Amino acid sequence: MHVRVRLFGTLPQFYPGNYPSSGLEVEIWQDISVAELVDLVQVPQEHVAIVSINGRIAKANDAIPKNAEVKFFQSLSGG
Amino acid sequence: MKFLRVNMTTQTVQWEDVPREYTTLGGRALTSIMVNSEVPASTDPLGHENKLIFAPGYFSGTSLVNTGRLSVGAKSPLTGGIKESNVGGTIAFSLAKLGIKAIIVEGKTADNKYFLLNIEDENTASLISADSLKGMRTYALTQQLHTEFGEKKSITCIGPAGDFQLLSSSIQSTDLDGRPCRAAGRGGLGAVMGSKGLKAIIVDLKGKIPAEIADSDRFKKASRDYAKAVKADEFSGQILPEFGTAVLVEPINAAGAFPTNNARMGQFKGVDKISGETIAKVIKERGGKTKHKGCSQCIIDCSNEFVTEDGTYVTSSLEYETIWSMGGMIGNDNLDAIARLDFLCDDIGLDTMNTGAALAVAFDAGYREFGDSEAAIHLVEEVAAGTEMGKLIGNGPDAVGRHFKHDRVPTVKGQAIAAYDPRAIQGMAVTYATSAMGADHTAGWVVDQNLEAFGGTVEARGSEGQVEISRNTQIHMAAVDTAGICDFAQTGLATEEGINNVFTMMSAKSGQPFGQADWTELGRRVIKTEREFNRNAGFTNKDDRLPAMFYNEPLPPYNVVVKVSDEEMDSTFDF
Repeated sequence: MHVRVRLFGTLPQFYPGNYPSSGLEVEIWQDISVAELVDLVQVPQEHVAIVSINGRIAKANDAIPKNAEVKFFQSLSGG
Repeated sequence: MKFLRVNMTTQTVQWEDVPREYTTLGGRALTSIMVNSEVPASTDPLGHENKLIFAPGYFSGTSLVNTGRLSVGAKSPLTGGIKESNVGGTIAFSLAKLGIKAIIVEGKTADNKYFLLNIEDENTASLISADSLKGMRTYALTQQLHTEFGEKKSITCIGPAGDFQLLSSSIQSTDLDGRPCRAAGRGGLGAVMGSKGLKAIIVDLKGKIPAEIADSDRFKKASRDYAKAVKADEFSGQILPEFGTAVLVEPINAAGAFPTNNARMGQFKGVDKISGETIAKVIKERGGKTKHKGCSQCIIDCSNEFVTEDGTYVTSSLEYETIWSMGGMIGNDNLDAIARLDFLCDDIGLDTMNTGAALAVAFDAGYREFGDSEAAIHLVEEVAAGTEMGKLIGNGPDAVGRHFKHDRVPTVKGQAIAAYDPRAIQGMAVTYATSAMGADHTAGWVVDQNLEAFGGTVEARGSEGQVEISRNTQIHMAAVDTAGICDFAQTGLATEEGINNVFTMMSAKSGQPFGQADWTELGRRVIKTEREFNRNAGFTNKDDRLPAMFYNEPLPPYNVVVKVSDEEMDSTFDF
């Protein structure tokens, strides 16, 4: 099972490897949660504020389906 | 500090001492309290009784970073209510350094005569005949005025839209590079300036009058700590310099809150082409500028310079709200066209948000296809040409809706919503509906509480808790706009230590004790004043509502409507 993870804003700098602009292919396990995926990708959780799964905003405990596109975003301010 | 009162009827200027009751005010509190006090609420916004007031923030001209903010206040011809429109650039700092607490422009010229207001130093200001400048676009105008009056001038002006007194007309102000690309965009205040016969205000940049601060050592220490916090914050210290506000495009789209095709959808399929990440990449590849400094005292540098493929300047700064209004809102994923439309709005003197929404309503009514960027550019050019269609677009979404008998018009009190659909982020529904300004995202931006911490601390698509967070944010923002702190530098006050630094600076400047209760009371006073003006102008609770489309049309992809009830809306300001 795998998912594609895309990092936005300045998040790519926190990824411990070379981040390809097309995103990361990440092997996952059944019922992995959003919070667990953030840890798996090794982006420090304090830098991730918003996660979407297939174009829908996700909660920390939401399970991630296989072949999903997952986006990580940072904290926002202003407007 | 002094007031500079400018009477356009008699073409005279007068320096006045600041009345005692105004000495501890600045920015939005000063403009709103003075408008409420001096302008009859029922008056014609384009008549001689309206007043146009320019006031730097309370902290403008001090050592505090990111305080180059100017409030422009008047009765709005767009909403019919009170208006405070906020702009950066160089004018607030330069006025403060000349010891000017506010410019009050009153009366109006006879026979549509036009003038420039030239503020040469702290004692010298005059009106100069300028009939020949009427109709001139802002880039050519500021270039000519810089040649004539010198480069070391801050220029605040109107373009053809303001000259025509159109309801979406902006007041444009020069940035640190001398370009008129900073906009007090909202509320049609360019039309008020045009109605008075004032084409531009020229302010000398060489003022050196120190800010009046009762305890400067205490102020300096708190301001240094504040600046460190702004720099240390991830958003203001790293993300904004790299991507600008355009970084919001992807997450807001992911939240299904990016109003697309006149808010028929909450996600835009062309989002990849107009995201902050894409824009930064394109700008760098073409030799433009990210991390560009637009405003006096700025340490964030969220501005950018967008250029063509051959490196020629197009516009500065391409920001989130415009990327939405001239992008997703009209179904346009052509980044170069968005940049061109941004430039045209600055050059013609138009609010990009109201104008984009006006185009969206026209497209939605079938006048053109969504995504037709050439038609959008042509229609905005028509505003400057003064055609009938151009006047409709320049008068905003309500005017376009009436013309086409089309009722999908995303405005509150006549002013277009911003780039957050109120169905997908329902706290923004409360802010849009209840702000005295009309639909105004800066009045109470509650996106973070709705989306962050993995899905929000409130349910974004529900009503629970939304009134409270909007109320608290609106009160807080009224105080922030009074202090004159840039929206994006609020990262410096996000912690208890940070907001305490603000209180320390308020106290150190005024010489009076200041704490949380005073901050809240300041914000509440501003909001009460603004609502009082609107009530006197004839507004009722029924004006604190969104248009029917947001209550009746489920927004894809979440297929949700606004759930905040009328009773909840009416409980927002329970003071």
